[in-house]
Amino acid sequence: MIREQPIPTIDWLTLAPMTTVVVAGLVALFIEMFRPKQSNGPIVTVSVVGLALAGALTLAQFGMEPGPTFAGMMVRDQVGLVLQLLLIGVCLLTFLFSDPYLREKKIAFAEFYQLALWSTAGGMIMVSTTNMLMLFLGLEVLSIALYCMAGMDRKQAKSQESAIKYFLLGAFASAFLLMGIAYIYGPTGSLDLGGIAMIAAMPESGYLTMAVFGVGMLLVGLMFKAALVPFHQWAPDVYQGAPTNVTAFMAAASKVAAIGALARVLSASGALQEFWLPALFWVAIATMVVGNFAALVQKDVKRTLGYSSIANAGYVLVALLAHVKKPDQVPLTTALFFLVVYCLMTVGSFAVVSLAAKGGEEGTRFQDLHGLWKRAPFAVGCLIVFVASLIGIPPTAGFFAKLFIFQDALSTGLVPLAIVLAVTSAVSVYYYLGIIQATFVSDEGARKTVSANPSFGLNLVCLFCALAVLVVSLAAAPVSQWLRGSTQLPGEAQARSELQLDSGGRVGAR
Amino acid sequence: MSGFPSIWLVFFLPLAGFLVQSLLGGSVVRFLGPKFGRTVMGALAVLPVAAAFLVAVDITVQLAGRPVGERAVVETLFPWIQLFGLNVPFEFRVDTLSMTMTLIITGIGALIHLYATSYMAEDRDFPRFFTYLNLFIAAMLVLVLGNNLVLTFVGWEGVGLCSYLLIGFWYKDVANSKAANKAFIVNRIGDWGFTLGLFGVATLVAANRDLLGVTDPRWLSFDVILPKATELLALYPGAATAIALLLFIGAMGKSAQYPLAIWLPDAMAGPTPVSALIHAATMVTSGVYLLNRMSDWFLASPVAMAIVAGVGALTALVGAATAFGQTDIKKVLAFSTVSQLGYMFIACGVGAFYAGLFHVITHAFFKALLFLGSGAVIHAMAHNQDMRNYGSLAKRLPITYLTMGIGWAAIAGIPFLFAGFWSKEAILGPAVNLEKAVMLGPLTVGQWAGWLGFVVAAMTACYMTRMMALTFGTSEERWRAIEPDHGHHHHVHPHHHHHDHGPDPNGFFMNDDEATLHEAQQAEPEHHVLDRNHEPHEVPVLMWLPLVVLAVFSLGWLGAWLYEGGVLKTWLTGMPYKSKHGPVSHEILIGLSFLTSLGGIALGLWMYRKRLPESEGWDLKKWSPLRLAASRQFAIDEVLGEGSVKAGGVIGSISWAFDRYVVDGIAHLLAIVSGGFGHALKWVQGGYVRGYALLMQIGVVALIGYLIYAVSMAGGAR
Repeated sequence: MIREQPIPTIDWLTLAPMTTVVVAGLVALFIEMFRPKQSNGPIVTVSVVGLALAGALTLAQFGMEPGPTFAGMMVRDQVGLVLQLLLIGVCLLTFLFSDPYLREKKIAFAEFYQLALWSTAGGMIMVSTTNMLMLFLGLEVLSIALYCMAGMDRKQAKSQESAIKYFLLGAFASAFLLMGIAYIYGPTGSLDLGGIAMIAAMPESGYLTMAVFGVGMLLVGLMFKAALVPFHQWAPDVYQGAPTNVTAFMAAASKVAAIGALARVLSASGALQEFWLPALFWVAIATMVVGNFAALVQKDVKRTLGYSSIANAGYVLVALLAHVKKPDQVPLTTALFFLVVYCLMTVGSFAVVSLAAKGGEEGTRFQDLHGLWKRAPFAVGCLIVFVASLIGIPPTAGFFAKLFIFQDALSTGLVPLAIVLAVTSAVSVYYYLGIIQATFVSDEGARKTVSANPSFGLNLVCLFCALAVLVVSLAAAPVSQWLRGSTQLPGEAQARSELQLDSGGRVGAR
Repeated sequence: MSGFPSIWLVFFLPLAGFLVQSLLGGSVVRFLGPKFGRTVMGALAVLPVAAAFLVAVDITVQLAGRPVGERAVVETLFPWIQLFGLNVPFEFRVDTLSMTMTLIITGIGALIHLYATSYMAEDRDFPRFFTYLNLFIAAMLVLVLGNNLVLTFVGWEGVGLCSYLLIGFWYKDVANSKAANKAFIVNRIGDWGFTLGLFGVATLVAANRDLLGVTDPRWLSFDVILPKATELLALYPGAATAIALLLFIGAMGKSAQYPLAIWLPDAMAGPTPVSALIHAATMVTSGVYLLNRMSDWFLASPVAMAIVAGVGALTALVGAATAFGQTDIKKVLAFSTVSQLGYMFIACGVGAFYAGLFHVITHAFFKALLFLGSGAVIHAMAHNQDMRNYGSLAKRLPITYLTMGIGWAAIAGIPFLFAGFWSKEAILGPAVNLEKAVMLGPLTVGQWAGWLGFVVAAMTACYMTRMMALTFGTSEERWRAIEPDHGHHHHVHPHHHHHDHGPDPNGFFMNDDEATLHEAQQAEPEHHVLDRNHEPHEVPVLMWLPLVVLAVFSLGWLGAWLYEGGVLKTWLTGMPYKSKHGPVSHEILIGLSFLTSLGGIALGLWMYRKRLPESEGWDLKKWSPLRLAASRQFAIDEVLGEGSVKAGGVIGSISWAFDRYVVDGIAHLLAIVSGGFGHALKWVQGGYVRGYALLMQIGVVALIGYLIYAVSMAGGAR
């Protein structure tokens, strides 16, 4: 008799967006193969079309029945769809200003587009699975492409250095992640995150310690990716060394993917929160403090923004903790809203910073930005919006993003986190305003600073991001309404059904 | 009951005009050339406002066709602010009050836009001007149409911003920038009151939601806070007074009531169409709108009502008295605006809120007319504004003269034939007959205000006659005395050489040499100044056409129609008209109106019919002390302005010392500590991979160590 296994549901549409992105990358690779080192126009076109198609395929899935498919390998839910769409958007925005930048920087490396596309696909897998092996695969697809991209400016030692640093430390962190997966797979025989809850539900099984360790290790791997203290030190170096368009992509995409995965792991291990919540509480505090204070003394814009992205990871971790602490009361919307706003601000600011590249050179120290206001008034105007939003000044979306986190933290009793958030945000005003100030300082007298002429694509990115930051703020309520959909992660509920399914398996046998 | 979705069109049309002007204006003018480009952009500025007016007319007609109880509709566009159980949607309220204001704003707004296309035709910053003007219309519509106090406040601030931008439109003259700053800063005081009042309303309503039986957390929306306000406020007399007074402070700032009136005369630094639209017809009446909207909240506090009436009467009196001392034609009109706004607040203070709005309507027409007329005179007189240089202009500017004459008759209150009489009658009648209110000696505060209103009416007739006679009358052409090139430079008003002004689109940060060069390139070849060779001509048709339209509406038919049978009162309050008779009868009131208006005019004619009196000429030494005091605004401006600046300086230096030594000390300490911490972190960030890996390892050990501890504390390894 054939084993009594339920036939796994196959829903190709779930897989369609990431497949489209991967295929777009392959097609672009073939174009590069036949027309090496020529105009990147066709490659960009194919990439953009592919991304648009993937975006449409993602949008089409909104409102569809959520649930696992491919035998639990993939899952379709609101959170995953929103984050996938966000990743696609980030990639698209990066592409719009990448080509002029690469040309100015004299980087003859068209593979950027393919790698970025595959990296995006990896991130999309990460945010739409509850299977730990898929999570690992997604993470590696995301990361390995990023390692290559960070080092693609082969003439610059800094770029090379950042790539190798990122790779070594990334490998180190992945080892922890794999170890964590093993710790959870051991007792349950399941690669699904639901296994954690399964163990937590039967403490008499004697595997609780293993599960706690497993979750701890998983978290280490993901916290590295999200650049949370003390696993953050790669971030400023890599952000500074990598070409600026890569930095923009990396800062937004890898953060989204890592936070998305982190949200799933934390939700799935909500039953064990008495063990890990205090630890992450301190991680959040350390991240906000270190990120903001270290940024104060930086002399390089990209490093400053790197530390700022560390600090922002701390903020969003607060939102995740609030959600996990009281999932019924506090939806995950706050974190999603923050990520959306974060991506707009980050990609926008790095796009403006990328103007510093000209004729193969790129100076990103603060003094290299002097007088940028005169040379690119529109871009700097938009930069003001981004910085205002990063600070959290009211008419911008950043204000609401932080306010919602603040509210959530207060309503779930995480009062110290709310206080640290407010205080460190105040500290951050200093270095954020420093960026704006640098662009307005007259460049007379100082050494001649140069910058590229803003391209149409760059202006478009700036305009889009700045408008979106303002519109999202005006429409904060409808946007969070839309994000909400049903953002409850299937973590616990699904874990119970897994428990039923596997009851004849390994756990039950013991 | 169906809604009025087309109200969004009324709002979005001027907003779209604003976007078109701001985003495309400069390019279009560059592309099509200055002349044709400005014509195109001018048309694109007028059309949205005119179209909005037509839509508003359509809505008003539909509204009028409904039964009285169904004349208030709320249209919600999207949920806007949702916080802590407070819900503020982006919603408009279509009712009789808001549509009346909308008709004034878009109707008169369209006329003034039309006028301005001609008035500003030579200005290099043509699109910037209409950008602000269209934005103003949009903001003003938010103010009157918003269905909650937050939206009202958004519009309130929006019109304040536009007012600031337009006063300082010719910003290269520092005086204009200072006037703009003054307007903006004085209005902040009003805003302080408005916001506190707004919070007070929300708190009071939210705290008494059970009592009011409302579950909808729109604690600031008018359809929530208005219906049961009377019952609610009866329980909290103290809070009612406090909220009413705070909101009134807001209204005082925007509507230029003393002591916050000091910004409005300086606001005349803006182009004349701005003075007509913003600083006479619409924006400055928004305080009256607010009091009308929140009338139930004011009626609950007799003290607040008495203060409103008292402040209004005082403003009417001081404004009229100051107007006697002015020689700048626009300053006369500015102080007369202050004075007329005082009338509107007298009306509100005696409970005749509808009469206040009635005066808003009539005043909007005749004051816009007078301002635009003065603009035409200024335009014809090479932008010289001093009436001592005018004279005998009636035959040279016949249309301007005739239309302004109608405006003059209206503001002077000549009975029956002109609009101003009717609204003044509607205000002063209830005022002198007010019985139940705060007493002050033998009369109520409202009665004092009413009788004072009659005195001011006579003064108004007199100083307006003075202005008309000095400008159009007399046989002397006084500008003939100005020598070309030299002499009488002190005559020439320092403002409004506006060909010299205006920025270059990209020269914001030019250094001095570049700026000079740029100026030289851009300078107009001939710049006409007023001297004895000047020949004034009647203004072009696009400028006198709006004058004629406004003049038609300043005639008595409008006032009579709105007043007789209580048409406007019924429209606004929904209550049927019934004729009331107080101790002072209707006949006495009309008699007094005849006496004050005709008496004032006669006095004015007697004094100024022939020539400019010596006692008001160029030599200030010959001026009478009283008139000299009036010309200096009775030192109110100095005492309040300079005094507050001085007092502010003292407070400022104290706070500076505190800031310098205590706050800065702490801040520096914090900065040193933060910087030191940052540097320490920088030291940890050594740049070596092995160091980073070590920190990660330490982190992992700490995490796992903690987890071991936590698990063991929870009952050991399980």
